[in-house]
Amino acid sequence: LKLPPVDIVVVGAGAAGGIVAEQLALGGLRVVLLERGRWQKFSETGHDELRSQRTTVLGNAFGPDDEHYVRLAQGADGSFQKVLPSEGSYNNIAACVGGGTFSYGAMAWRYMERDFRMRSVYGAPEGSTLEDWPLSYQDLEPFYTKAEWEVGVSGKAGANPFESPRQKPYPMPPLPFNREAGMLAEAARRIGWHSFPIPMAINSVPYQERPACIACPHCVGFACEVNAKNSTAVTAIPRAIATKQCELRTRCVASRIVMDSASKASGVEYFQADKLFEQPCRAVVVSCSATETPRLLFNSATKLFPRGLGNNNDWVGRNLQGHAYSGAFGLFEEELFDGLGPAARVACCDFSHGLPNGLKGGGMIANEFIRLPYLFSRMAAPQVPRWGIEHKRFVRKNYKRSAGVMGPVQEMPVFESRVELAPELKDYWGIPSLRSSGHRHLHDIEVGKFIAAKCEDWLKEAGAVSTWKSVAGRGVSGGQHQAGTCRMGADPKTSVVDRYCRIHDLDNVYVVDGSVHVNNGGFNPSLTIQAIAYWASAGMVSELTRG
Amino acid sequence: MSKFIGVNRREFLVLAVPLYAAGPLQTFSRDEARLVEALCDQVIPADDAPGAKQAGVLYYIDRQLAGPLQRFRSAYQDGLSKLRNACLSRTGRDFTDLPFAEQTQFLKDVEAGRVEQLDTFFRLVIDHTMEGFYGSPAHGGNRNEVSWDMLGIRDVMEGHPH
Repeated sequence: LKLPPVDIVVVGAGAAGGIVAEQLALGGLRVVLLERGRWQKFSETGHDELRSQRTTVLGNAFGPDDEHYVRLAQGADGSFQKVLPSEGSYNNIAACVGGGTFSYGAMAWRYMERDFRMRSVYGAPEGSTLEDWPLSYQDLEPFYTKAEWEVGVSGKAGANPFESPRQKPYPMPPLPFNREAGMLAEAARRIGWHSFPIPMAINSVPYQERPACIACPHCVGFACEVNAKNSTAVTAIPRAIATKQCELRTRCVASRIVMDSASKASGVEYFQADKLFEQPCRAVVVSCSATETPRLLFNSATKLFPRGLGNNNDWVGRNLQGHAYSGAFGLFEEELFDGLGPAARVACCDFSHGLPNGLKGGGMIANEFIRLPYLFSRMAAPQVPRWGIEHKRFVRKNYKRSAGVMGPVQEMPVFESRVELAPELKDYWGIPSLRSSGHRHLHDIEVGKFIAAKCEDWLKEAGAVSTWKSVAGRGVSGGQHQAGTCRMGADPKTSVVDRYCRIHDLDNVYVVDGSVHVNNGGFNPSLTIQAIAYWASAGMVSELTRG
Repeated sequence: MSKFIGVNRREFLVLAVPLYAAGPLQTFSRDEARLVEALCDQVIPADDAPGAKQAGVLYYIDRQLAGPLQRFRSAYQDGLSKLRNACLSRTGRDFTDLPFAEQTQFLKDVEAGRVEQLDTFFRLVIDHTMEGFYGSPAHGGNRNEVSWDMLGIRDVMEGHPH
C-alpha cells in the first residue's frame, strides 16, 4: 500500500532517530518516524532482573523478541550458530520507543578532542583501520552542549581536568555520591588521580517538568519508574510529536529503502501487522543502530548497488566495534552497600589517553552500577567454586562488601569485524537477517590489561582486601555500544557517509547513529551519537528547506 | 458467599496460594522433578538460610521450560536421563537416594568432566538455579524472597515495584 508522501522518513526511534525526527520537524519538515518496537511503560516491565536489558535470561524486556528475530554469530571455531536476541552474541540493542535510551544507564560522556584524530595522535596499529574523523571535537562541541541541555544531563563542569573545553556548564548539578563512590573518590585523591562525578542523562533536580532521580537500586537495564532518566521517549520524541509535523508509527519494521533512480531514494517499505506499506518521501534517515542500519542498506540493494546501498566499496557493516570492557572487582571488610542507585557515580579519565609503552587510547574508569543479586551470583571471585555451599556463603558474605571498577576500553577498528547478510536466514517477516564475525584487535587486550591493573590499584587503595581482574576477550565486540559499521569519512573509497552523515554517492539517504563513528572513544557513546544527531539534523534542515 | 469446608471463598483462595504455587508441574514428570530438585539443592544448599529447595527453584525451572526457556527442554530430557544412568552405573544407586555428600562428590566429578558429556548440562542447571534463587519471585522461584532476605536487601528491593 502506497501512502501519501512526506518530506522525511526516519527509521528507528532511538537515541539518534528521536532527535533527528524532532529537529527536522522543528525545522518545518513533515516527518514520519518508524519504530519496530512500541511505546513501553515502566509498569509493564518493573524491576524484574531476569528480564531487564542487563540480564536477558528470560528474554529482552524492551525487545527485540526471540519469536520474530534471529541472527547467526561466529563461534570460536569459525562456524556460525543461530542466536536469539536474548542471547549475548546476538549483539542486541533494545527495540522500543526510545531505543537503548529507554533502559540505559544514562552515562552522558563527551568524547575527548584526541578521540576524533586517533590516527594522527597514535598511528594505526597493524591490522586496524584506525583513521581520523572528518569532523573535530570543536565542530561537535556546540552540539554536545545542545544535547546536554535538551536531553538533560547532570554533572559538574570543570571537575574532570582531562575533559576537552566546553562552552557551557551542565544544566543540572551532579547526582550525589553513594558510600562506595565517596570511598573511591578519597582513594583517588590519595594516589593523585582526578576523580569526578559521572555525567548522567538523569535528572538530579526536576528538569523539563519531570522529577529528580529517586536513587532506586535498579537503574541500568530498567525503565525509570519516575521518568527521571532522559531517554528520547520522554524528551525528543514527545516534543517531535507535539510539533504536529512528526508522526510516530510504532511496530513498523522497515524492510527496504526504495530507490527511484541511481542515486535517489523515493521512500521506505515497511511491515506493520504483517501488511506491507510504502511511505514515499524526499529523504531517508537510517537510525537503526550499527547492526540493523547496515542490514537495511544491504536489503535495499539495486542494480547499481548490488551489495547494498552505499556499499560498492565494501565498507558497510565493517569495523563493528563496541568497547573492550576491562576492570577489577574487590571485596571489603566493611559493608559498602547502601542501596542507593544509580551507584555508578565516580570516574577518572587519567587513563583515557597517553598510556605508557606505546599503548593507543585507553578508557575512562568508573565504579559499577549496583549488581543485582542474580548478576552478582555469576561474578564470584575466581577461586570460589561455581556452585555449592561455598558459593552460597561467598554471595551471602560479600554482596554488600564488594565493588567493581571498569572501563570501556577504546577499540581499534578491525575491517574483518563485521555484520553481513546471512545466506538463507530470514526473520519473521521474511527479511534477510544478519550474521556477525570477526575479532577484537590484540591491542585492545593489551590496553584492557593495563586498565584492569589500574582499576585493581584503585580498589586496593580504597581498602579492598581481596581483588581480581577482568580483561576483555577477543570475541567480536558490539553489544549496546555497537558502532563503526557505516564509517564517516571524506574519502568515499574508505568510508560510507560524509561528515554530514549522508551516504556518499546517494543524494538523499543519511545514516545517523553509532554506525558513523570512526572509532568509539573510551566512553559510553550515547551523548556522542546524540551530538552527531543534532549536527547532522542542522545540515539536513538547511539542505532540505532550501527549496 | 459459597462455603468450602467452613471457609469462605476469599479465605480459601488465600490458604490455597502456596499449594497452587507448588504445583502442578508443567514440564517435568514426578521423577524428573525429584532429580531436578536434588540437583538444585546441591547448587544452592540450605544452611541457616534456605536453599534452592525451599526457594522453589524447581518450580522456576519447570515453568520457564514451558515458556521463555523452552529451547532447553530437550537438554533437560537428555541430561536428566543420562545423569540418572551415569549415577546408577557409577554408584549403583539413584542420585536422589545418595547421601548429600555423595551427591556432591558425584557432581564434582561431573563438573570436572569425569562423567561423560554431563558437564554442559550441569552448567545449565547451575545457571537456571542461580536465576531461580536470586531472581524475581514473579517467576516461580525465590519464594518469599528468601535470597533477598539472606542478603539483607529485602527492604531495598521491596521499596520499588517488581
